[in-house]
Amino acid sequence: MTIVGKSKRSPTFRRNRWMLSAILAVIWLYTALPLFYVLVSATKSNNDLFTTFGLWFSDDFRLFENIGQVFSYQDGIFSRWLLNTIVYATVAGIGAALFSTMAGYALAKYDFRGKRLIFAIILGAVMIPQTALVVPLFLLMSKVGMVNTPWAVILPSLVYPPGVFLMRVYADDAIPNELIDAGRVDGAGEFHIFSALTLRLLMPGFATVLILSFVATWNNYFLPLVVLSSAEYFPVTVGLAQWYATATVGSGGGAALFTLVLAGALISIVPVIIAFIVMQRFWQGGLGAGGVKA
Amino acid sequence: MTNDMKREFIQAMLNRRQLLQAAGAGTAAVALSGLGSAASAQEKVELTIWAWTPNTQSEIDLFTKAFPNISVKLENAGQGPDEYVKLRNAVRAGTGLPDVGQVEFTNIPGFRQLQALLDMGQYGANDVKDKFIDWTWASASEGDAVYGIPWDSGPMGILYRADVLDAHKIAVPKTWAEFAESSKALSKASPNTYLTNFGGTADGGWVIALLAQAGWKPFELNGTDLKLHLNDAIAKKWAVYWQDLIDANAVGVKTPVWTTDWFTGLDEGTYASWLTGAWGAVFIPQFAKKSNGHWRAAPLPQWEEGKYVSANLGGSTFAVFNTTKHPKEATQLAVFLGSDPETARLWNTKQFLFPVLKDLVADPELMSHKYDLYGGQAVNEIFVESAKHVDSSFQYAPFQDYLAGQVQQELSASIGGKGSLSDAFDRLQEVVSAYCSDQGYTVSQ
Amino acid sequence: MAALKSRTRRYRVSKRLAPYLFLAPFALLFIAFLIAPMVYAFTLAIYKTTVVGGTRFVGAENFVRALSDPKFWQGVTVLLQFALIQIPGMVAVALLIALILDSGTVYAKSFFRVSLFLPYAVPAVIATLIWGYLYGPAFGPFTQLANLLGLPPPNFLTPGMMLPSIANIANWEYTGYQMIIYYAALQAIPADLEEAASMDGASSLIYALKVKLPLIVPMVVVTIIFSIIGSLQLFSEPYLLHNLSPTVINNAYTPNYYAYTLAFTNQQYNYSAAVSFVLGGVTAVISYAFMLIVNRGGRT
Repeated sequence: MTIVGKSKRSPTFRRNRWMLSAILAVIWLYTALPLFYVLVSATKSNNDLFTTFGLWFSDDFRLFENIGQVFSYQDGIFSRWLLNTIVYATVAGIGAALFSTMAGYALAKYDFRGKRLIFAIILGAVMIPQTALVVPLFLLMSKVGMVNTPWAVILPSLVYPPGVFLMRVYADDAIPNELIDAGRVDGAGEFHIFSALTLRLLMPGFATVLILSFVATWNNYFLPLVVLSSAEYFPVTVGLAQWYATATVGSGGGAALFTLVLAGALISIVPVIIAFIVMQRFWQGGLGAGGVKA
Repeated sequence: MTNDMKREFIQAMLNRRQLLQAAGAGTAAVALSGLGSAASAQEKVELTIWAWTPNTQSEIDLFTKAFPNISVKLENAGQGPDEYVKLRNAVRAGTGLPDVGQVEFTNIPGFRQLQALLDMGQYGANDVKDKFIDWTWASASEGDAVYGIPWDSGPMGILYRADVLDAHKIAVPKTWAEFAESSKALSKASPNTYLTNFGGTADGGWVIALLAQAGWKPFELNGTDLKLHLNDAIAKKWAVYWQDLIDANAVGVKTPVWTTDWFTGLDEGTYASWLTGAWGAVFIPQFAKKSNGHWRAAPLPQWEEGKYVSANLGGSTFAVFNTTKHPKEATQLAVFLGSDPETARLWNTKQFLFPVLKDLVADPELMSHKYDLYGGQAVNEIFVESAKHVDSSFQYAPFQDYLAGQVQQELSASIGGKGSLSDAFDRLQEVVSAYCSDQGYTVSQ
Repeated sequence: MAALKSRTRRYRVSKRLAPYLFLAPFALLFIAFLIAPMVYAFTLAIYKTTVVGGTRFVGAENFVRALSDPKFWQGVTVLLQFALIQIPGMVAVALLIALILDSGTVYAKSFFRVSLFLPYAVPAVIATLIWGYLYGPAFGPFTQLANLLGLPPPNFLTPGMMLPSIANIANWEYTGYQMIIYYAALQAIPADLEEAASMDGASSLIYALKVKLPLIVPMVVVTIIFSIIGSLQLFSEPYLLHNLSPTVINNAYTPNYYAYTLAFTNQQYNYSAAVSFVLGGVTAVISYAFMLIVNRGGRT
């Protein structure tokens, strides 16, 4: 974003740049500290994990062995878990973003009967905590034989109410009514107006809801825990938790898998980073010509 | 099973024992497979088993070799409580239960209460009864009704740091009285060093096991009549004992077990001992470093000098769920996994499970392995002895998870400032009584 | 004439039906996967299943019990304190970061964007290891640092520090999440507005505070509402800290945790459902109160 009238060399600009970068750097340190612990821990052996200084590496650097072990332990099921999670999160992310955008658009740009009621119901439903709904959901899905399948995770994850609200606000802001009216005057159908004219403007919002619901599904632990009983369908959250539980046992057979879990967690962050970087492209937004944000 | 088949089964088992003594375990598989083809109708049967012990597939493979007409799908549906939640949900849904499942001793009564377990006694399970250490079998059966085939156990002992005790000239405590004295002496000599960490803040099961050692029998259940006396004299004695140590700052209470600080503390010597089951001995080497070579095992301290009463902490069984379409084959799977000699040996050598079979426990080669972490001590011998002295009359409640949770809650609350440990037991009695009344039992003291 | 008429007729039907069609996919999934389980949970709440005695209809009994349960209200008090501590700080920092990133005057913008968002992507399972270490009263890094400097060690897990410690974890997890939303909202502001402001002599700071911020207020309000709802449903962080500090946190510390314990440890499913609904009711009251305060102008 260029600031008209101020060249990039002006002293005020450079001072601002340093100051703002410094502020961000401080915040960044706070964010990075726990992440650094994860990184450092994933390079250690189990015998070093609790017995060496937590925020620095040990003499026995084992990152690659640990990563190798992550992918080979239990017949390489981690790759399967990673694939599952990618599939669940991508399908749910795209679906949730699409349906939320359509719903938000409708709520923002149309006046229709029942609009307020629908709004209140969507918001009201979010007020009941997920912990109360997962087991009833399981029991209902059991009746139709849907449990222990990928659909048991994907379908519920397509529902992302915060996305609807976010898109409603976004559509209100980003789409001028004149654009829609102009489309109608030209004889375009409603769906054509949505897809050809407004969707482009909604892209930053769409991308945001996509990444948010992608990560929400990625992180979801409780739903898959209850509805899945076969390890081949587990997402990484449930799989890693299982490995972790094996370490804190009380019934024999316990294997200390801490570094395995830490390395697995580290690996599982990577696809999220990739998805995020890909999505960043869509944050270039703004109206029509001349509105390019760097 | 027809009477003919039963007789054949028994004959095969008897033959197997003799064969074993003469020729070794390999033939057993042959005899058993003979048994398999005699007892089943040679149809292909598919079974599902839920188990969380790592590498269980190895033992399952032994089974499928012996019973080629039965294919087994192994699922790890979660460990302990996670698996039980899924099992209970499946019971409520009426569908989705596996044929066989790993169920800890503590949770057999709970699933019996839900009427989810198959009585394996009706399918010949009692034939292997004598191979098991008494209390392990008794914990999962009632008379001829068998609800769980014992798998592994956790006879308790004390794992201690010989270097820390030696440095402060403290002898290994043989009685609880000695334990208390040593705790106080250690903390006085070295602040921030404790003889042990109090496990009750994080682990209700630990408390219950130690109370069982003291003779605690907190309830009697007759149909729907429940006599409950959680705050009886034994509980109070135990509470007063540990409160004394807490007040003297002689036992660690700030760090719950199974946390990062606790692991570090064990290795650093902040906590000089761990009262735990046999599986603990195998667990420490996996994360310890500095303390390598300095650990030792000893019998659990005793309330009465000269006697030896032990307790069990942990241990699982193989249970069959009564929604199974193949009760006979499921029973065969459970019985095989629990009692087949080669398989049992593998559980011990591969997964380091502490055995429940009399033969294995008496096997000198297995039980006298010398561990480096323990300075060359053959620690299993301590636990073998311990296993012989576990009280077989202790019963777990049908609401054991709830009870263990409440024990942990009330003890933690007291340590957090809400009175003494004795008060905790009084509160426990109230809360659990209310809960059981709410659940429809007729509760009395 | 006829051609025009048919076109307008098609247009009119389409316009009235359109919103419902746009809502349909979301609505169908919503009903199947949110409303249906909710109805089921409600039926759980009006019945009672006991180990002895089976299932019977009890009407409002479970709800009355929840409304008069001191554990429930203690939990609500904890939550209100928590929300007051946690939400303002998180929103302020997230806005700050978003505005800074949007201003374009920092180095390594993309790097900061990704890395500040990362905590949200870290699986919760290792949270016990992370915070068990960082908050460790005996061997944590802050304790070790304090020992090195001869200062008294900080204790993050005392009753007094517990809420800030939990708030800290929540902030760490969610600030990046909020930041992304605000950043995207800022992207919707056309760049020519800034040019105009600058030509009027406004500095970037004034522009940020007086123009950009007010423009994204609706988005901020939405995120605050969801943060309030999220705070009132607080579960994973107390659950995690229960393992680290069981003497301070019990398994009814927050109402949602209480409902979880009732269902999964106590097997009191009916009462658990009722507690969840009462919590939902409390959440609704507080959220709508907040929205009324904010929306005095009348925009829902």
